[in-house]
Amino acid sequence: MEALYLDNAATTPIAPEVRAAMLPHLAEEFGNPSSRHAPGVRAARALEAAREELARAVGARPEELVFTSGGTEANNLAVTGFARARAALGRHVLIGATEHPCVREPALALAAEGFTVESLRLDARGQLDLDDLARRVRPDTVLVAHMLVNNEFGTLYPLARAARLVRATAPQALFHVDAVQALGKVEVSLPELGVTSLALGAHKFHGPKGVGALVLATPVRPKPLFLGGGQEFGLRPGTENVAGIVGLARAARLADAALATSRAHFALLRDALLTTLAPAGFARIEPGGPDGTTPAIVALQLPGAPAEAWMHHLEARGVYTSVGSACQAKKGGLSPALLALGLDERRAKQVLRLSFARHTRVEEVTRAAGHLLELAREPALRAP
Amino acid sequence: MNSTGEVVLCRFGELWLKGKNRGEFERVLVRNTRAALAQIDPEVKVEREHGLVIVRPTRRAAEAARRLREVFGYSSISLARGCASTPDAIAQLGVQVFGAALEAYPPDRVVTFRIKTQRADKRFPLTSPQLDVHVAEAIPSELVPRIRVDLGHAELVLGIHVRKEASYVYVGRESGAGGLPTGSIGRAVALLSGGIDSPVAAWMTMKRGCEVVLLSFHSYPWVGEAFERKVERLAKVLARYQTRTRLVFLPLAEIQQIVKDQTPPAYRTVLYRRMMQRLANRVAHEERALAVVTGESLGQVASQTLENLTCIEQAGELPVLRPLIAFDKPETIALAQRIGTFAISIENEPDCCTVFQPERPILRGRIEDCVRAERALPLEELLTRALAGRRVLDLGP
Repeated sequence: MEALYLDNAATTPIAPEVRAAMLPHLAEEFGNPSSRHAPGVRAARALEAAREELARAVGARPEELVFTSGGTEANNLAVTGFARARAALGRHVLIGATEHPCVREPALALAAEGFTVESLRLDARGQLDLDDLARRVRPDTVLVAHMLVNNEFGTLYPLARAARLVRATAPQALFHVDAVQALGKVEVSLPELGVTSLALGAHKFHGPKGVGALVLATPVRPKPLFLGGGQEFGLRPGTENVAGIVGLARAARLADAALATSRAHFALLRDALLTTLAPAGFARIEPGGPDGTTPAIVALQLPGAPAEAWMHHLEARGVYTSVGSACQAKKGGLSPALLALGLDERRAKQVLRLSFARHTRVEEVTRAAGHLLELAREPALRAP
Repeated sequence: MNSTGEVVLCRFGELWLKGKNRGEFERVLVRNTRAALAQIDPEVKVEREHGLVIVRPTRRAAEAARRLREVFGYSSISLARGCASTPDAIAQLGVQVFGAALEAYPPDRVVTFRIKTQRADKRFPLTSPQLDVHVAEAIPSELVPRIRVDLGHAELVLGIHVRKEASYVYVGRESGAGGLPTGSIGRAVALLSGGIDSPVAAWMTMKRGCEVVLLSFHSYPWVGEAFERKVERLAKVLARYQTRTRLVFLPLAEIQQIVKDQTPPAYRTVLYRRMMQRLANRVAHEERALAVVTGESLGQVASQTLENLTCIEQAGELPVLRPLIAFDKPETIALAQRIGTFAISIENEPDCCTVFQPERPILRGRIEDCVRAERALPLEELLTRALAGRRVLDLGP
């Protein structure tokens, strides 16, 4: 039984080119970039080359990158660090309705430091409600944090517009973008978005786990979360994860270079999936419509049994999918994002997520859909 | 053109417009523009048209615009969209662009605006004020309660450039880097240490149209490769501002050693610098450069008194340009932050000067004393050997 891995929004396999770029740094090139001798300098050079490579992929300058242990740390550093850095100017923070816990939790924790933290609303379609944002942004708003691509159902949020809106009312506000799900699915370019920072996590686009970056297009420095040896411009001390950073940069470059073809391919995969599934009559959850949703993530509203049961039945057939996000699965709770869409508890538990990678084949998706169709005929799953 | 039809309009300063070299300036400006975008958009089209450079990116127009703000010679830059040069096409696009810009404001707020047409095609059927009115009349009635004309201090300015082949509509303009197209004035050799000042001095020289060859001295093995790497990183930042950048490293350790052993300690720093000046002159000769640039600022450190500056300068023949001569440190730092070199410069890395620093350098050196002290040194041999030990890096933009 060949495994069909359709959970690429949770994580992706490391691309062979990425692994090849990393290998020397897991073997003979073990120097500490802060060391002043030759092996150290070689490590530092590798780090700088990676910094340039990643900067180019996201339209930033090399000195605007801070490498972190992943998307979670990058988001934490941005939310907590920026809010603290700007506390003297105001204590109002806005976050999206469907944020990942690594944005939502640090934002909520800011309340203990005297910040007012509000969640934005979704409109009737489940898209970011820009009118609501316009009403809530205040002159003392210092930070807005929002995801670019939703990790559970793939909504593409209109953040370039949102950022312009925020700037008109609160020019001093920082706009942080959680772009963890975005790279490789949509254009991720700091100047195009017109925002002040964005967070990346390598393993979502065929890079290694445990490495990410915060990209800063602002002279405002977030207050660091860690104190130590001054690495990463003092914003993120700790000996750099050279192999991981090299992998992150290569993965970002590959994802960016493949973007146009990936996008077309994801659409093909989505269409293949939905066409094959048409007889079952499952609805896709796509707030904002097909054009406002990445084809790389397909969230299906299933009938009958909770999606968890479908997921394990699929797993028994070698098809790997997901219920909500992997983080939610671990926490065992309901998805706040699905509830924010207006789904009731029962229906929120019936959402199955399939997510693609650029190497996923149409034939794999059709086979997975075939398994779903077969399962749909099983009364135990079908019936509530 | 990219899918949204976005272009970047780059306006250049008026100062050199009337000069005889205008054609040459513009040619260099276009070349620099292409070079600046070569990495991010190799297929980009760059056209020179009637006092404007029009850049047509194939993707990521805002990124191109941001990059072009680092190109010397442009006074301002706008992201714009193009259309056919007819009153109706312009009005249609104008309303679209205006509507999108209006979305940035809360729906319950009245936004002041104006329309500003610049007409290069004098055969266009409408005058500039007539076109302003024509476009304003096309604004849909539902938007009218949200806007109010203000010719003085409008928040939202809808700009229109009317051209024969195509016209362009934009909202807002960002300041350009100013200055003159780098390479249009000539070439200079800029001394680059690892500090805050020298990169700023090199950048300011580029800003006034000079291509800069970077020259750095290392004291290997008294300092390690990490020093050279720091200088390389500074050079890479500076390389963003010109089309090609040569970085020349020369070894200074032997010279420093001999100066230290054979001359009075108080004069050491001035004498090192005189040697650097001589080497810079030689490199300038090879590179066909006409001046030497330093980051010296009057009175900033012991070697930068008027007397010492004179002692140093007189070792060479070429004019020494000191863009920072009247700068206070905070002014230099502010520029270094803007350029992008500051964060690198403040990394703690011993350089060629720190290693052989005397405890009490002379404050008011005298040329006679310098010349007397140098009689003991095999000057020509030292210079030749230092030049033979060069390492050259060619950096792209």
